[in-house]
Amino acid sequence: MLDELLSRFYAHDRLALARVLTLISRGEQLDALRAGLLPKKEHARVVAITGNAGVGKSTLVGKLAELLRVKGKTVAVLACDPQSPLTGGAVLGDRVRMPSRPEDPGLYIRSLAATSGHQAVAEHIDLMIRALAEFGFDLILLETVGAGQGDTAVRELADIVVLLVQPESGDELQWEKAGLLEVADVVVVHKADLAGAERTQSQVKELLSLPGCRDVSVLRVSSAKGEGLDELWSAISALPTRHPVTDSDAQFLLRRAQQVLAERFRDRTGDVTPVVDRWKRQELDEVQATDALLHMLIQQSR
Amino acid sequence: MDNPLPLRIVLAKVGLDGHDRGVKVVTRALRDAGFHVIYPGLWQSPEAVIRTVADEDADWLGISLLSGTHMTLVPRIIELLRAAGLRHVGVLVGGIIPEADVPKLLDLGVARVFGPGTPLPEIVAFLRSEGSRTHA
Repeated sequence: MLDELLSRFYAHDRLALARVLTLISRGEQLDALRAGLLPKKEHARVVAITGNAGVGKSTLVGKLAELLRVKGKTVAVLACDPQSPLTGGAVLGDRVRMPSRPEDPGLYIRSLAATSGHQAVAEHIDLMIRALAEFGFDLILLETVGAGQGDTAVRELADIVVLLVQPESGDELQWEKAGLLEVADVVVVHKADLAGAERTQSQVKELLSLPGCRDVSVLRVSSAKGEGLDELWSAISALPTRHPVTDSDAQFLLRRAQQVLAERFRDRTGDVTPVVDRWKRQELDEVQATDALLHMLIQQSR
Repeated sequence: MDNPLPLRIVLAKVGLDGHDRGVKVVTRALRDAGFHVIYPGLWQSPEAVIRTVADEDADWLGISLLSGTHMTLVPRIIELLRAAGLRHVGVLVGGIIPEADVPKLLDLGVARVFGPGTPLPEIVAFLRSEGSRTHA
């Protein structure tokens, strides 16, 4: 069934892409999908847009997507919104601020729920990015939940991280310094039509000119007035593609193994009870029991 | 998590109908019941709705209409869904629908019509019992 789905996917069936993303988001058949979606195409550029709630991430992503379509680039958007930790429910409303181009095959928008307690993006998003790249999109715009610290994780997923702040952020900026400013490749003072944008821009520049900081461009953008978008795109295009997680990277493989192990633990809790029981009866000590579990999970593979 | 495989539901306002209080109430109720609700905003064209349902791989489409245009827009949306290969997506209609039109909409393939005053748990219960026709 997965083979059929993947052959439709590689025949450029958009509904097959949608279903592949659903399977990934549900954590279903991940091993088979990883094998079936081995990268054959050139790396698509992944641009993450991050920043606090209400700073205008969806709006900017929408404007950027439109601009890129005009420039002839195909664009996929992965828009993450938070999911309730109590019910698992979510309202995914990012499309409200995104362009509606129903006839345009070069724009794909997918709304995703990010589990609370995880990162600022949905689970397995690395595999979704790979699927979209394999489907042939030139650019992947990744919009985070905007939850603060966890957003630093997007650095591992994206080639370029764009951090949004808004005018009159004041002391907020000091707080940002410790985390997000360090991972940003471009800082955008968004809503630049509001008063105080220039001051915020110089404050950010000042923070970033401290010793040890990288050279980061700080731009003013107003999505409402459509100003600064071209400059933002020029700044993004000027940056080198980082290939942050290349498939030939040892770190990549180690991280992948950790992830697979974590998935196996989560999906096969039923199988571990014999080991747990022996540990409870003190027939195994803690180290022996963990070793036994690891062996068991490795044996179970495939 | 109570709901490891949450249903994905697109709730849409179609055409020049700006009455979105109802759809927002339903959006929140479904979220609180553990569903994933995709809300693309006001003034959607039927074509835009189909695109959203397709790209989001939705299990259900709920159309909210309070403008009296349901006998024009609902048949059009259903026709486009079928043409797009989305026959498996369940369709619900909510809003101001005269009783006489309800059987006509059901004949077209609408799964249920929820009028004003429908208790929210009724919608939740309906979706829970139907589940997904996509990911059976």
